[in-house]
Order: sequence, then structure tokens, then C-alpha cells
Amino acid sequence: MNTMAGSLSSPPKTAFDGPKAPRDPASLDPVFTVSGLSVFYGDYEAVRGVDLNIGHREITALIGPSGCGKSTVLRCFNRMNDLIAGARVSGKILYYDEDVYGDHVDPIEVRRRIGMVFQKPNPFPKSIFDNVAYGPRVNGVKGDLGSVVEEALVKAALWDEVKDKLKASALSLSGGQQQRLCIARTIAVKPEVILMDEPCSALDPIATTKIEDLMQELAREYTILIVTHNMQQAARVSDRTAFFTAEVDDTGVRHGRLVEFDETSRIFTNPVDKRTEDYITGRFG
Amino acid sequence: MGMADVSEIAPAPQALGRSRRRHGESVVKAVLLTAALLSVATTVGIVAALLEPTVGFFTHVGIVEFFTSTDWGPLFKPPSFGVIPVVTGTLITTVIAIAVAVPLGLAAAVYLSEYASARIRRVIKPTLEVLAGIPTVALGFFALTLVTPVMRDWSPFEISLKNGLSAGLVVGVMIIPIVASLSEDAMAAVPNGLREGAYALGSSRMTVALRVVLPAAFSGVVAAIILAVSRAAGETMIVVIAAGSNPLFTVNPADEMLTMASFIAQAGSGDAPVGTVAYNTIFAVGSLLFVLTFLMNWFSARLVRRYREVYE
Repeated sequence: MNTMAGSLSSPPKTAFDGPKAPRDPASLDPVFTVSGLSVFYGDYEAVRGVDLNIGHREITALIGPSGCGKSTVLRCFNRMNDLIAGARVSGKILYYDEDVYGDHVDPIEVRRRIGMVFQKPNPFPKSIFDNVAYGPRVNGVKGDLGSVVEEALVKAALWDEVKDKLKASALSLSGGQQQRLCIARTIAVKPEVILMDEPCSALDPIATTKIEDLMQELAREYTILIVTHNMQQAARVSDRTAFFTAEVDDTGVRHGRLVEFDETSRIFTNPVDKRTEDYITGRFG
Repeated sequence: MGMADVSEIAPAPQALGRSRRRHGESVVKAVLLTAALLSVATTVGIVAALLEPTVGFFTHVGIVEFFTSTDWGPLFKPPSFGVIPVVTGTLITTVIAIAVAVPLGLAAAVYLSEYASARIRRVIKPTLEVLAGIPTVALGFFALTLVTPVMRDWSPFEISLKNGLSAGLVVGVMIIPIVASLSEDAMAAVPNGLREGAYALGSSRMTVALRVVLPAAFSGVVAAIILAVSRAAGETMIVVIAAGSNPLFTVNPADEMLTMASFIAQAGSGDAPVGTVAYNTIFAVGSLLFVLTFLMNWFSARLVRRYREVYE
């Protein structure tokens, strides 16, 4: 698995001997089962008919050219699209056996269980401590927030850098640190899944490497979905890759479509679909 | 081809130093500077105009009497110059106005910025701003002929025909648009990424509004409130019409009261001859209003510096 990821930045996954069971690449233990997912903005069908399974404690990368709907799909998993006026979803996203878009489901609870990290680091203009403590506070956690905050910062590999200045403004941190703070903030709510929407696209290569290492570490405990436009990144960090593209239908309207979904090593070495191959090779030259 | 060849073939580069005066630019700059200086000069002029009669006033009236006596009647015989009743009158009407305008204005701002759809916002916000365009003389009669009678009918307490409560309430209504509109501007300027981050952590809409957006917009919201307070403290017409002209020393908002602004209007529209103590009193009260407003602005600026959350 993931042989392409014999990269400079991250040790091979087998180096970890944590609680994560060795993966069998052939079988997939799904956390999410997506079937027939379409996303509409008003009358416009931005994404059409996506079927996808997300494996437990795996890293799944969503890649594809701009406008292929990969971010739109990502934002369905925690119902962030609900916040956009006119956005509507059809099809099913099962979280275990529960429909994320079911009538009785509270989107706030969905977002608590399924965290999200954004493209541009977006720490609150508050102290480092208050940023991490925000989620637990909002979700009614009482008692010793100090240990919750520390644990989250340790897991996000930021503790050593900020432990002496927890009261400092989060905005005094560098971009890469801010992004790790946002990851810590997400972890503090104790989600099971972390969605990452191009989390490194605003960062320099060193900060990017740190985040990628962190993702590998986090995958022992969390299921991670990452949207990236950086194919090397997808190859380096992910277990499985979903390739999306934009397709023009008979009436001349563009829709995002899922082209191919497989183990990352296979997508990058031996893709089944011609379009995947063209995209991969085109980028790698 | 070597470097030497290039220098032989290529024409000598044109010098950059051909400066060309752009006359339009300097004219624009001069016009803008004039505009900026004009507003500074106006402020300085107002202070200067206030200063001389104020000094004249205090050569006739003791500063201790002015600030400690509770008897105000500079136009009566014998005159009395205790400013406390008009200060309390101003404070009471202003506090009532703020008590009305801040909660309602902020609630409206939160609604418009965080809850309302774009379509509703497009209708409500201009409508709200129209409220700011109602002539205050009309609002004054609204207070006197509608608000006061209704309160007198329904209240278990004694309410004077002219009273600070009714005036304060209507001044509050008058400044709601200032609080709401400017606060909404400040909240709308908060980057959407902060909202998304908060929602993604499992926040409700209310939590996002109160714990993320409002704190991030704090300095803008405080600026809106300061402007509203200054406007309320200086409001004249509504108070003249609805609160009366009797400078009672009272803390009961249901009583008739005189404010600093309404005293100035009352005395200024009379026939106090230039240079008399009565005439100078107008300026002394004006100076005091100016100083109080200035102190409040200064204090709020400190408050903002201390508590604001800087994003970006």
C-alpha cells in the first residue's frame, strides 16, 4: 500500500506501531458510504452522482482540476453546504448506518463529530488557549479545560512551540502554526473524522511537510479526508484517492463527476480510466 | 554572442529620469488637504468660540457654585448657577436612550448580519436607515402627543406631562439606526472564514454571532455606540418638546427636566444680550457638554484598544 509515498517528507506508515491495525488494502471498513450524491446550487447541479466509501482511520484524498466539485463534496460530509443559501443535496451519505442528511439529524451534532480544517488558516482573533478551548466550551464541557487544551495541542504537534505563550494572540503565530492550531482546535472537540480542505495551499513547503507528517500521525486515531490540488501530496499522504473531473453533459452544462476511486498507489501507477491517467501524467509531465 | 557584442548592437537604454509634472495630481492633493484642514479648523474654531465666553462666565460665577449647587436658574432674578440639575437631566435622558437603542440596535444588527437572507437584508436595512432621516421635531411631538399620554394612561406611577422618560425613549428610537446600521457594517466586515471555523466546531448560529462575530466586530460596535451616545447627549429638539424646561434636580425619569442641550436652545433663542453672564452661561454649558462628550470618546477609545480582537 502507498508505495508512491516513499517520500522525503514522511516515514512509511508501517513505522507506526500505534493502535491502528495494519490495513488490508483490498477491504475497506467504511465510516462513510456515499451513494448517488448530487449537490445543487439553486437549479445548477454542481456535482452529479457520486458513489464513494471512506475507510475507517484511513486518509482519503479528493483530487481533480479546479471546478470539479471536490471541495463541494467534502463540505457535504459535515453539512457545511447547509450554510450556503440555495444549496441542496440529493442521494445519501451514510455515517456508519445513519444518514447525515436524515430528517432527525442535527447538523450541529454532525459538525461536532466531523471536524473541518480550512484552506486558509482561520484562527479566531483570541488567545491560543481560547482558540482551542472554544469548541469544548461551546459544546458544554466543564471542568479542567487546561488538560483538554494541552492534549489537543500535543496531538497537533504544536504544544512545544506555544506552551509558554498560551495567552498570546493566535494571530501572532506563523501561517503553519496557525493551521496546526486550527487542527488542535478541531481535535479538542474530539471528532471521529477530520475534513481538510486544501489545508496546505496557503503554506510554505516546510510548514506543509509538518502538516503532512501530522496527518500521518493523526490517521492512527482519526479518519481523514483531504481535498488537495497537489497530486504529490495526495500520493504522499493518502491511502485512497478519489479523482474528480468536470464533465459537460448533453445540454452543455458542466457537472463535477467522480471518475475513479481506488487505492492511492493504484491511482498513481495504474489508473483504470484514461482521464485519470491524462490528469496524473499531465501534471507530472 | 558575447556581452560586448550586445552592448554594441543594443541602443543605449532610455534614461528614467525624465520627470514630468502631473498638475492634476497636485491639484487633487491640495483639494483633499483643504478638506481635511477645514474639518480640523472647524473644531478648533468651535473650541475657540466656546473658550472666551466660558472664561468670562467663570470670572463672574464661582467654579465651586457651578459644579456643586443644585439650583439652576441663570435667567432668573436673582440668578443661580448650579449646573448639576441640567447634567443629571442630560444623563437620565441619555441613559434611557442608550438602554433602548443598544439592545434593540445590536439585536437588529445581529439579525441582519447573521440571520437574515440577503433579500430581507436588502429591504430592512434601508428601511431602518430611513428612521434616521425623520426630523427630530416630528419625533419630539411623537413623544409629547403619543408616548407620554399612553404612558400616563397605563403607568401606575405619576408621570408629568413633560418628562425625561418619554423624551429618552424617543431619543433612543431615533438612535437605533445608528447603532444597528454601523454595528451591522462592522459585523459584516468580519471574515467569513471565522464563521465557517466556528460552525465547523459545532456552534449554533447564536453562538457564532455572540462568541465569534460580535467580539471580532467589537471596535466597530463600540464606535457605533459612542456615536449614538454623543448623538443622544446632544439631542435638543425632542428633549425641548417632550422633557420640558424646568430644571428640577431629580433622579426620577417621570419628572420634568432640563438638559444641557435644551438649556442652550432655550437660552439661545431668548434675548440675553451679548457679554452678559446669562449669555456667557450658554457657552459655559456648551463647553461642559463638549468636555463630557470628549471624555467619553477618549475613554471608549481606551476600552476598544484594550478589548478589541484584531483579525488579519
